Amino acid sequence: MAVEFSPETLKKFEETVGRYPKKEAAMLPVLYLAQQEFGYLGPEAIAYVARLMGQEPARVQGVVSFYTMFNTRPIGRHHIQVCRTLPCALGGAERITAFIKRKLGIDIGQTTADGRFTLSEVECLASCGTAPMMQINDDYYENLNEEKTEKILESLT
Amino acid sequence: MVGSEAASHFAAPVKIKQMEKILLRNIDVPEFHRLAAYESAGGYRSWRRVVENMKPAELIDEVKASGLRGRGGAGFPTGMKWSFVPKDSPKPKYLVCNADESEPGTFKDRLLMERDPHAVLEGTLIAAYAIQSHTAFIYVRGELAFGATQLESAVAEAYRTGLIGKKIFGSGYDLDVIVHRGAGAYICGEETALLSSLEGSRGWPKLKPPFPATHGMFGCPTVVNNVETLAALPWILERGAAAYAALGTEKSKGTKLFSVSGHIAKPGVYELEMGYPFKTFLEEDCGGVPNGKKLKGVIPGGASMPVLRPEEIEKVNLDYESVQAAGSLLGSGGVIVMDETTCMVRAAWNLARFFAHESCGQCSPCREGCHWMEKIFHRIEHGEGEAADLDLILNISGNIMGNTICPFGDAAAMPAAAFIKKFRDEFDAHIAKKRCTVRRELE
Amino acid sequence: MDPVKITIDGKEINTTKGKTVIQVADEVGIEIPRYCYHPKLSIAGNCRMCLVEIEKMPKLQIACNTQVAEGMNVLTQSPKVLAVRKAVLEFLLINHPVDCPICDQAGECWLQDYYMEHDRRESRFDVGKVHDRKRTIFGPNVIFDGERCIKCTRCVRFCQEITKTNELTVINRSDHSTIALFDDSVLDNPLSANVVDICPVGALTDRDFRFKVRVWYLQKTPSICPGCSTGCNISVETYQNRIARFKPRINEAVNSHWLCDEGRYCFHDLAGGERLTTPLIRQEGGLVAATWEQALQAIYAGLKGSPSIAGILSGRNTNEEAYLFAKLMKRFRADAALEVFYQERKLNEVEKILVSPDRSPNFRGARAMGVGSSDGFDALLRRLLSGEFAAAFVVGEDLTKAAEPEAVRAALQKLSFLVVQDTRVTETTELAHVVLPATHFGEKEGTYTNREGRLQKLNDAVIPPEGALPDSEIFARLLELSGESNGYGSPAQIFASLAREIPGYENLTYDAIGPQGIELGSGGGAAS
Repeated sequence: MAVEFSPETLKKFEETVGRYPKKEAAMLPVLYLAQQEFGYLGPEAIAYVARLMGQEPARVQGVVSFYTMFNTRPIGRHHIQVCRTLPCALGGAERITAFIKRKLGIDIGQTTADGRFTLSEVECLASCGTAPMMQINDDYYENLNEEKTEKILESLT
Repeated sequence: MVGSEAASHFAAPVKIKQMEKILLRNIDVPEFHRLAAYESAGGYRSWRRVVENMKPAELIDEVKASGLRGRGGAGFPTGMKWSFVPKDSPKPKYLVCNADESEPGTFKDRLLMERDPHAVLEGTLIAAYAIQSHTAFIYVRGELAFGATQLESAVAEAYRTGLIGKKIFGSGYDLDVIVHRGAGAYICGEETALLSSLEGSRGWPKLKPPFPATHGMFGCPTVVNNVETLAALPWILERGAAAYAALGTEKSKGTKLFSVSGHIAKPGVYELEMGYPFKTFLEEDCGGVPNGKKLKGVIPGGASMPVLRPEEIEKVNLDYESVQAAGSLLGSGGVIVMDETTCMVRAAWNLARFFAHESCGQCSPCREGCHWMEKIFHRIEHGEGEAADLDLILNISGNIMGNTICPFGDAAAMPAAAFIKKFRDEFDAHIAKKRCTVRRELE
Repeated sequence: MDPVKITIDGKEINTTKGKTVIQVADEVGIEIPRYCYHPKLSIAGNCRMCLVEIEKMPKLQIACNTQVAEGMNVLTQSPKVLAVRKAVLEFLLINHPVDCPICDQAGECWLQDYYMEHDRRESRFDVGKVHDRKRTIFGPNVIFDGERCIKCTRCVRFCQEITKTNELTVINRSDHSTIALFDDSVLDNPLSANVVDICPVGALTDRDFRFKVRVWYLQKTPSICPGCSTGCNISVETYQNRIARFKPRINEAVNSHWLCDEGRYCFHDLAGGERLTTPLIRQEGGLVAATWEQALQAIYAGLKGSPSIAGILSGRNTNEEAYLFAKLMKRFRADAALEVFYQERKLNEVEKILVSPDRSPNFRGARAMGVGSSDGFDALLRRLLSGEFAAAFVVGEDLTKAAEPEAVRAALQKLSFLVVQDTRVTETTELAHVVLPATHFGEKEGTYTNREGRLQKLNDAVIPPEGALPDSEIFARLLELSGESNGYGSPAQIFASLAREIPGYENLTYDAIGPQGIELGSGGGAAS
């Protein structure tokens, strides 16, 4: 089941690659394009990116598997990433995580049956002064408590 | 939802002591991320002066004279770093702004990127000019989506008005700026790992020698500077090296941003003149430990740095030498405050888990040793510790230190050893009683 | 080259700028342990096993990435170095499975070896080992065990830098880092099994050799690969008189550290098959066992006076055998058409790194000995197939593999006299009038001349089965029958003879050839 970029994305691909001194330096932004286009970076997507970049797929897979923000499997529409590192832990992060688990009925690494949420624990997100906090897709939600967390989750469809 | 909503959540009060603000001087000005606002406050005057009137050697000398040291954590003199780039090299030179802020307890670069991106950009341009680079990268950690878009907008505005691009201000100098997003790896804050990542590979640190100044990105001369370091440059160029050097201490010039978090009344980002007394800072400016609790321990410079007991900070000032003399390091200035309710065993385990997760896996002591330490901390924390465990961790830590490809090994080893050394009694008790002996555990 | 003087463990060494400490140590025989460093691969610096102390440097430095500098003082046995080696070994062993009893690498495993030499402490690890894939087939010749892997990345670098096929990569991070192929791809490049050689531990092992024999039982004989005319230097490793495996020997002038997969496993075919153990003569009912006397007499009678004779020698016969064969055939007919088996084949880019486009390791030597004409083997084969010859003497090759089998069989059947000398029953032996049981490359001593003109020595690694004779001895006996009374004995004696006659081989002595061979025309190998 081969995948490929739409013409618009191909154009973005060309522009992106053109900005860098060498094509290979564009690997991370190109992988982001692919993740956005295909939803996640499975073997087909990796093989496609490899072909576009003129590299062996094994090497691309090595890159993808190194970084936490590349998803090799489909995830929910909203990726809840609760920070668990020391300052957030001091601020009560574990309570927030436990609350979300209870509320959504899923464990860390799992996705709700309706495909709405995936829950992860992540390391420091550079928001220690407003702990505890979480990131959902591109957005930060800071100074959390259970009430706020509940409202935020309910607002996301 | 990216944008103002997120920015307003970052409501941490930002207070500056009675001194002239350098880095945070415009941080509360609304819409200051826009070029118009930045320029009307005098922005890009320094950039213009540099391009139109200065030679790179002059610029390097000026920054050397200012005493500016790298603010990412290593504290290496900035001007000296620039001077290591071979001027006559035929290879292209690269300047990279390290915006991969990931050190736990640190959130100062993020503030600058989100609220004063043009200062970050202008500093990047000035540094690029100093080493005669024509391509500058701003490597932003992937999670800071908002910061990245703020920088991307700033770059777009700068291109539109000819501040970057070809023949800037009609001179012969070309400069391109690329905002490049990381994808989730703390190690990419280490400069050679950042370069590997920027080259499109796994974020594996490179062997040194050779050093990035001569063999960096794609083997070309490269300088990597921290966001905060670069953001100080416009002011330094505007007011002069002497003005900057007049602030701070003999070996730690200027001002520094401190990120304060944990059990503290007023968490947030503060700008202090170097040499400010640590205790005063915590108790007065930051409001002290709230809820009537007592201070138990404080990490002065980000999770990698050894924790200090309250008595150890009595005479410590917030500058490089003073903190080092106290047995820790100023690092990124990420101040993590822990009160008496903190289980130090759990705190140590939390950080050991962080390092185990973030180890790149390239070299054997770190790859194997970090997770080993985490597992031992974990079993101690869960009541299955053994008497020999503490000396074992200290020994493992000692075996990692100094034997790895990059400083990550040291960064993981130091906190593990420091927590045990500073809170030995608590660890011993936790092991003996098979449970936490601090009344309220970390929640 | 700029000279540099350094000291290692108190020993002063004159070396040159640009070398690393580990290179210099290797050159002067000072042992510094290492895993990830390999002289033919880029420097990785990840194992940390080669950390040494260098005066005036506060931290220990990896010897593989430290360039020598004038006056550098290196300590490889200081207390700090001895301690760090124990530390590194401990880190490598904590997640390592205790597989030794079932691991093929035992006996040649660098974890075992360095542990015994540098460590020997008891384990302090009891918090649960990291697990990974075991018994994972990577390709037709290579199997992987992720738990045994120490992530030295030699295999990854080999596929990137030597074969440039990039099948292998490191995936994941931290101590979940492991070696992997992409999706359902396969490690099947023509040099794939070299990763087994360079893997210091039992993570990558040879599927062909799996569970066959413990390496400390192997007898190792230096020899030359009989696969093609590259002449890769090998070690033929045997157990109970059977070849268990080939391993490459290092020869920078020929194969460096490598061996191609086809050559590595060619012994199965070349040393296999149903062995001939007695001479055979064709009677009414078919081929019948005969004595050597009878068989050799029959050959003499059959070839002497034949109007036209073709002689085809295998490319796997040695110079000594080729020399005698040429002499012998020319005694039967001065115009005997002689050729060494030689068929060109196409090579892909990876094969071209090492492999020669033929399966005749000694075609060059044989031709020099007189087995060859200007027309070449293809021409001779065509003449044979068109029925030009009355008699033929075929050594070591099944001609039905050389051309369309029906045509070959028809042509051979039309010959009035066909002698076939081989190690095993083939379609060609089945059509012969006289069959002689001979020996293969692993059972003989002698020389090959590779494609580039390098003279190299084979050594016998196994004893041939009862009844088979070395080719050189068979030819010598036939020469005796035909009146040649030089009494050719050992390969060394035959070589002495050929060195007197064959241009390009003069002034060479057999004993001076040595384990790395000598370049013909270089002046090397002369008796001093």
